[in-house]
Amino acid sequence: MNTLFAGICLWLAMVSSAAAHRLDEYLQATCLSIDLARVDVEIDLTPGISMASNVFGWIDTNRDGEISQVEGEAYARAMLRSTVLKADGSPMPMTLEESSFPTLREMSLGVGTIRLRATAAIPAALPGRHQISFRNMHHPESSVYMVNVLVPENRRLQFGEQRRDVAQLGLTLDYTVTGDAPKDRTLTLALLGFAMAGCLSLRLAISRREKAKRPV
Amino acid sequence: MIHSPESPSKPTMNKREWIILLALVSPFAFGFQRSAAPAVNGNVMAKVVQAANAFLATLSATEQAKCTFGFTSSQRTGWSNLPTGIFQRNGLRLGDMKPQQREAALMLVAAVLSRGGYQKVTDIMNGDEVLKNAGGGRTGGRPSEGIRFGLDEYYMALLGTPSTTTPWMIQFGGHHLAINVTIAGESSVMTPSLPAAQPAKYTLNGQTVRPLGRENDKGFALIGALNAAQLKKAVLNYVVTDLVLGPGNDGKVIQPEGILASELDASQQAMLLDIAHEWVGILNDEAANAKMAEIKANLPKTYFAWSGATKNGSLAYYRIQGPTLIIEYAPQFGDLDHIHTIYRDPTNDYGAKLVRK
Repeated sequence: MNTLFAGICLWLAMVSSAAAHRLDEYLQATCLSIDLARVDVEIDLTPGISMASNVFGWIDTNRDGEISQVEGEAYARAMLRSTVLKADGSPMPMTLEESSFPTLREMSLGVGTIRLRATAAIPAALPGRHQISFRNMHHPESSVYMVNVLVPENRRLQFGEQRRDVAQLGLTLDYTVTGDAPKDRTLTLALLGFAMAGCLSLRLAISRREKAKRPV
Repeated sequence: MIHSPESPSKPTMNKREWIILLALVSPFAFGFQRSAAPAVNGNVMAKVVQAANAFLATLSATEQAKCTFGFTSSQRTGWSNLPTGIFQRNGLRLGDMKPQQREAALMLVAAVLSRGGYQKVTDIMNGDEVLKNAGGGRTGGRPSEGIRFGLDEYYMALLGTPSTTTPWMIQFGGHHLAINVTIAGESSVMTPSLPAAQPAKYTLNGQTVRPLGRENDKGFALIGALNAAQLKKAVLNYVVTDLVLGPGNDGKVIQPEGILASELDASQQAMLLDIAHEWVGILNDEAANAKMAEIKANLPKTYFAWSGATKNGSLAYYRIQGPTLIIEYAPQFGDLDHIHTIYRDPTNDYGAKLVRK
């Protein structure tokens, strides 16, 4: 048992202290969902442990230790103003749709995430090549960023290259809008097959009827 | 060193922790052996159902009520990588189970996973015990405020009724571990699941343990095997500091990036499949073999993306993404000793396809 105990002590001694959660960074993760005439923007903001009181202080402007709806929305709108969404090179205003805020305790543990949901109407994209770009400049002095785009649900959108800067403050996506949704080839072939079989059956039926009518 | 409220003042394990550790190894130490060969005759799930019922039989009515949930309840998505005290799990806590119950719970985990998968789970849990005894990690100099780590803090939950015909689910998880296995008839899937590790390397009884060491080494081996033209496509020009599709991101599919597997040679493709198997192969061999066949069939549409340095021992993130697979490997915020990973199937998370059948 003594050997085992010594083994455990050695095992414990060899474990270095490690950070369980992010510390001094403000993680800003953005996800863009693009459709023909709108872009939905999800932004999740998670301050590290050392950043928590600062970030909470930016939002809790009356210093009562709680984030009121007014304070939350004011911060959310300010945050959105420090981002730029462009469609084919033109800035598109974003409308805040939803925001939620964690408690100070959650933030202090490095796991409190502020969630913002916004949307932007963009000019309905005509068939052809288009571009969406997004840039986040909210507190770059202390932030790390992630920005991604979701696979399009609309089959008329075909995404091309994504370009980001090394810190992921921004993303530019080239995409193509097709005239019609690409047809499902299997379905098309099956329908064509059924149509041909139908025509053939009809033709055979007519031919049999004509034969039957002919005088012997 | 910061101790959580339940941490011992000395770096030793108490009797209860020894019992838990014994229970962890008991499926192998006491003759419960899983076949290393692929299961045949579809009897794997019958054994899993048997193990689940054996576990339930050890519980009182109150404990059963705490441990069981409706198959479609919100418990299904109620999992996390976070420790107790930050995220409150439902289900029955290992630390609240009697030795016989703990052993039965772990037998169930061993029954549904492969032998290697169970070992990985054990390594992750033991790592959390190490973390606990090391003070639970820094919390920015603040008290840990009730955050608890260690072997006691893993939870078992069963959703639906264990059955060889109707769908049900096993959830087992705690800090840095979320195993979600949906079972329908003879089929089982383990997506979404989150195996993670902190510390990424520790010594236990004189042996070095790296719970996710193969995931790291195989990733670096593949990126090291790419030529310049392939590297140009595979390596992203930006830093990724965390999982993109971690907990709370169910249903999202990001636009894939990196190099297509069809642009890899046969040997590189085999390496890519071998990496994927580190996650897929956590589940029992029968289900893992079926999943690997599906991934192989979709290989031409599968991407491999890398961010970071390419020399083993450096910080690097990677992602494998195909039509029915998303795997991310992400060291946390510049810390090589703290790894998060996620394993998803955008078409079959929580067994969506199995349940529809």
